[in-house]
Amino acid sequence: MRSFEDDPRLAELLPDERQQQLLHLLQALSGHTLQLDEQPRPGAEAVEFNLETLGWLSCPSQPQLQAAAARLLEFVLFYVGKYRLAANLHHDASEASFEELQRQHAALQASEARYKALSAQLQRRVEEQVKVIERTQQQLYESARLRAVGQLAAGVAHEINNPVGFIASNLRVAGDYLNELGEKLPSDHATALILEDFRALLQESEVGTQRIAAIVTDLKTFANIDQEDFVPCDLNALIASTCHLLRAESNQALDIELKLAELPELAGYPAKISQALYNVLDNAAKAITGQGRIRVTSRLGEQGAVEVLVEDNGCGITAEDQARLFDPFFTTRPVGSGTGLGLTVARDIMVAHQGEILVRSKPGAGTRVTLRFLSL
Amino acid sequence: MADYQPHTRKLSLKVVYYGPALSGKTTNLMQLHTLLRPQRKGELMVLETRDDRTLFFDVLPIGLRGAAGLDLRLKLYTVPGQVQHDSTRKAVLSRADGVIFVADSQPAQQDNNANAFDNLADNLQKLGMDIERLPLVVQFNKRDVADAVAEAELQARWAQTPWAPLSMASALHGQGVVESFRQLLVHLYPQLDREYRLAETEGIDATSFVRLLSAAQGDADA
Repeated sequence: MRSFEDDPRLAELLPDERQQQLLHLLQALSGHTLQLDEQPRPGAEAVEFNLETLGWLSCPSQPQLQAAAARLLEFVLFYVGKYRLAANLHHDASEASFEELQRQHAALQASEARYKALSAQLQRRVEEQVKVIERTQQQLYESARLRAVGQLAAGVAHEINNPVGFIASNLRVAGDYLNELGEKLPSDHATALILEDFRALLQESEVGTQRIAAIVTDLKTFANIDQEDFVPCDLNALIASTCHLLRAESNQALDIELKLAELPELAGYPAKISQALYNVLDNAAKAITGQGRIRVTSRLGEQGAVEVLVEDNGCGITAEDQARLFDPFFTTRPVGSGTGLGLTVARDIMVAHQGEILVRSKPGAGTRVTLRFLSL
Repeated sequence: MADYQPHTRKLSLKVVYYGPALSGKTTNLMQLHTLLRPQRKGELMVLETRDDRTLFFDVLPIGLRGAAGLDLRLKLYTVPGQVQHDSTRKAVLSRADGVIFVADSQPAQQDNNANAFDNLADNLQKLGMDIERLPLVVQFNKRDVADAVAEAELQARWAQTPWAPLSMASALHGQGVVESFRQLLVHLYPQLDREYRLAETEGIDATSFVRLLSAAQGDADA
């Protein structure tokens, strides 16, 4: 590449046409023909620019004119060259600046792209962290709530237990008194009718009291939240009490069929297993919406695993929803009626008992949930 | 970088006057044009603008013809000192064979000197040139101003650099200008001699190299 300062050739400073114009002017002034060549010619005068000989000027008819004409030509070339040098330098410098700008621009773009990617990555991480925080908060809130509910239930059960005890005892004593009264009263027909009715009332009250006592027992099992270590659990009993509780909570009658096989005792947290059973059963109850049937089976499965099957013939779960069943806060229920934690909690409980939870469902046909406690 | 064309026997060299704005680079060149009586001397080309500030460069071509026919040319350039003309400065500096750094002796200008010297080092590096190996003379100009920084102080400050001793000048009065130029020629000759065997094949030894290019008005052997 030519640099701005490379010595120019004659034609680069003065194109042929301009050279001829200049020679014509010199001829008009001097009256003699002049000739300008790039190659040396005998007797000709050198025309220099910056010490560089650019051409040879000759005037064969009047050689003594040559020197002055050559200086005049050099004078013209000096100013042409001055402009040309400045213009070339300006061109070189502008081009270099432009290239530098382009380099910087490219570097800036690359850096901008890096920062954009970094920013997007940071944004993603912030979003992920926010999700984790939200989830943890919700879980904390849920567990605190469940704990509060459990404590309340335990307190209520404890408070109800005493009055129920003396009511039951009083009812029995009242029955005995009624028998004694019956012997002392006149044995006419009207009195006999009153006594019979009285006895029926007392019996009904006793049955009611027993039911209250049973619910209280279930509540105590369910709310047994402070137990630290695994204890031997009677799984069938837990199933029965959970079913009672569900029935008591549900407003309509539930058709629950129990098929309980004889099982060995299971080491675990009774309250938590009840919770898992409750969550699964609650889903089944909501799936059948009061019209279908629920069947709960307990059995000894392969390799000594204890299994509890909860089957319903309710609405079933779509394949799409099945994929997200265990996602925390995934719920298909209307806002406010489901936390989306039921199966998540159930799965966590099963994992804590070295067990697993399996769900098979066919939309419109029903769902089967298997809780399997692996034998240790 | 010297440019040698074997078919014309032409060796072109380039010396650049560098330095902060208004330190007297163009004045140096104008004085050289007046004072020097080199073997060959071309026209001084000054491309000044309306306010006499250099916008592009100034150039003074000088030359000598060796005994064996070598056509040695030396173009002396100045760069624009103003900060904003850096790309022009870099273009002029490219392929320089030697640099004369013209610093300003006024106390207030010492920061500008340092900045300009950094800029020189920076641009040399960008152009792929090694400042340690480049023939470089540092001239402190304007010795005539009343409050000029003392020479002893300047010499002490630069004593540990490869560019000591400094050259002192008062370009406006033509003092030190030719001496600075000669100092550079002395630095320049060994490199040229190594590459082009000036003494051996061209019959140009160090003394005649300096004398033929920097003979001054009033010198005995001019």
